[in-house]
Amino acid sequence: MALIISGIGVSRGIAIGNVHLLNRGAPEVFERKLEEHEVDSEIERFVSAVDEAAEQLRGIRDTIPEDAPKDVATFIDSHLLMVKDSMLSKVPIEIIQEEHCNAEWALKQQRDKLEAVFEQMEDDYLSTRLNDVEHVINLIQQILKDQQYTMQMKLQPLKGSIIVADDLTPADTVVMQNQNIAGFITELGGPLSHTAILARSLGIPAVVGIQSARSLLKQEEQLIIEGGSGMVLAGMDENTIKHYRHIQREQKDAQRKLGSLKNISAKTKDGQRISLQANIELSEDISALKKSGADGVGLYRTEFLYIDRETPADEAEQLNAYKKIIRVLKGKPLTIRTLDLGAEKEFDPDFQGPMTQNPALGLRAIRRSLKDTDLFKQQLRAILRASASGPVRILLPMITSHNELTQSLSLLDLAKQELTEEHKEFDADIPVGGMIEVPAAALSANILAKQLDFLSIGTNDLIQYTLAIDRIDDQVNYLYDPLHPSVLKLINLTLQAGRRADIPVAMCGEMAGDPRYTRLLLGLGLQEFSAHPSNLLEIKQIINKSKISDLEKQTKKILSTTVPSKIAPMVDALNQ
Amino acid sequence: MITKELTVANKLGLHARAAAKLVAMASNFASEISIQKGERKVNGKSIMGVMMLAASKNTVVNVNIEGEDEQQAMAEIEKLFTNLFDEEE
Repeated sequence: MALIISGIGVSRGIAIGNVHLLNRGAPEVFERKLEEHEVDSEIERFVSAVDEAAEQLRGIRDTIPEDAPKDVATFIDSHLLMVKDSMLSKVPIEIIQEEHCNAEWALKQQRDKLEAVFEQMEDDYLSTRLNDVEHVINLIQQILKDQQYTMQMKLQPLKGSIIVADDLTPADTVVMQNQNIAGFITELGGPLSHTAILARSLGIPAVVGIQSARSLLKQEEQLIIEGGSGMVLAGMDENTIKHYRHIQREQKDAQRKLGSLKNISAKTKDGQRISLQANIELSEDISALKKSGADGVGLYRTEFLYIDRETPADEAEQLNAYKKIIRVLKGKPLTIRTLDLGAEKEFDPDFQGPMTQNPALGLRAIRRSLKDTDLFKQQLRAILRASASGPVRILLPMITSHNELTQSLSLLDLAKQELTEEHKEFDADIPVGGMIEVPAAALSANILAKQLDFLSIGTNDLIQYTLAIDRIDDQVNYLYDPLHPSVLKLINLTLQAGRRADIPVAMCGEMAGDPRYTRLLLGLGLQEFSAHPSNLLEIKQIINKSKISDLEKQTKKILSTTVPSKIAPMVDALNQ
Repeated sequence: MITKELTVANKLGLHARAAAKLVAMASNFASEISIQKGERKVNGKSIMGVMMLAASKNTVVNVNIEGEDEQQAMAEIEKLFTNLFDEEE
């Protein structure tokens, strides 16, 4: 009988393989009293277990793939230092000598002592580092229990199997990559855990957060995991397996084909060069950016510099963050969106205000920045200073009125003036753009375009505001429709305004990254798409097979269609 | 002997990876290096010691160094603190 379990998909792709249950928690430890003459050999046994643990960690360190995040090596280095630390390598020896107990018991006592210290720590992040200490202690315990124990898991051929474990250490993940495992499932962990990040960078399909995975799944049982959606399938019939093998093959073929597009530029069959830019946020996106062959970054979200941290980044830290991306881009432009905080994403209690019923309509994005001009100017200064190192553009979120634009531009002038006085370098002609994500802005795009160097359509908010639909409200989200005639009209108006003012118009919402809409947008005249790096190659593939002149007539027809339900089939027809 | 007050300024404090960098750096020098937070004083060459200081962001620690290469050691350690332990944000 088929069993479907769902967890958190953290690394895309389909894996089909047999379960290999990994039980590598702490082995149970018992106390044994030693005779006087046994003490020395027990100490020797402990010392060689510690040496073996260090040896194994060093071995794994040497096999870390070059493109793995730098953190992985540092992580394993820190485990290595712990193994050799006197608190783990010497103190248990003293305990063996004093108490005449076995090595396992001595190590356990030291572990309990360390645990008590960590538990008293007030800082949550630091106190959870006990996990690292435990990974190391467990490794020594495993070796004490079984001299043949090895992290390399060489004894079992793991090739093609799906590892099911409570949690995995970074070292485990590296080992698995070398053994060509098909995928893994863990009980703990989330999308940002170290192991999840590593799985993505190594391209191993993975699902985490399936709480009782090890009791639900049986050793050697055949499984299918769908790492994108987080679905795990067990006990399926032959046909299902065949079906998934087919999808797996197709995905691999498509991936290979897309990969070959990386170094080709996006150009329609009638010769129009299209700029494909990336939306990025966290440093993890940088490796995806490198693989995407993007023409630049069309949207760099900066909220991470302000929220989910103790204090907002200061000017120097921001500057560093921006320069890091500029280095990766090697001369391609970086578009930095200024702070887009809102009532629901806020770090400063002074701005949290009354819990408004309608955060989307509240004090957010540019409105908030203009209320806290010190903070805003600090960001503008950091962006300006970054522009001395490479091409940078400023993107202002949620512009609604001409007034907001004028205020922002004069603040920018002030920042420039300050930097000039301080003899700090910046690009005096830094391009400034505005997000078009409010219907009011789209309707007066021609006026905004006069003061701006470029426009960027943020479709997610534009659709939400135009149709008055909160996408996270389950009762109405079915009404969210990128193809609603009013949405298309506003997009068209914005594109026209850009052409009249002779400034570029980009699109950086989800619509730009959805291959279903690529041809429609080309037909409307969009020449700059900005999407998550992982979508860019697929979009490029469509662009390079399209001819704008063939699309224009049909898109005109779509624009004049007033019945929403007729539009979707017309858009799909463009893709035939 | 030289002593200096340094502030832990990186986001996550002296956690495993930052502690590892500090200890690896300290171990390059012959001098005795200790790090003190309040009453607790630990060996700057022991990762467990440094982690157990539980020095979170904005903690001020006293770094004491004694030995032939103390100047150079202090300069390098200070650099590590100012560079936020080269942490990726």
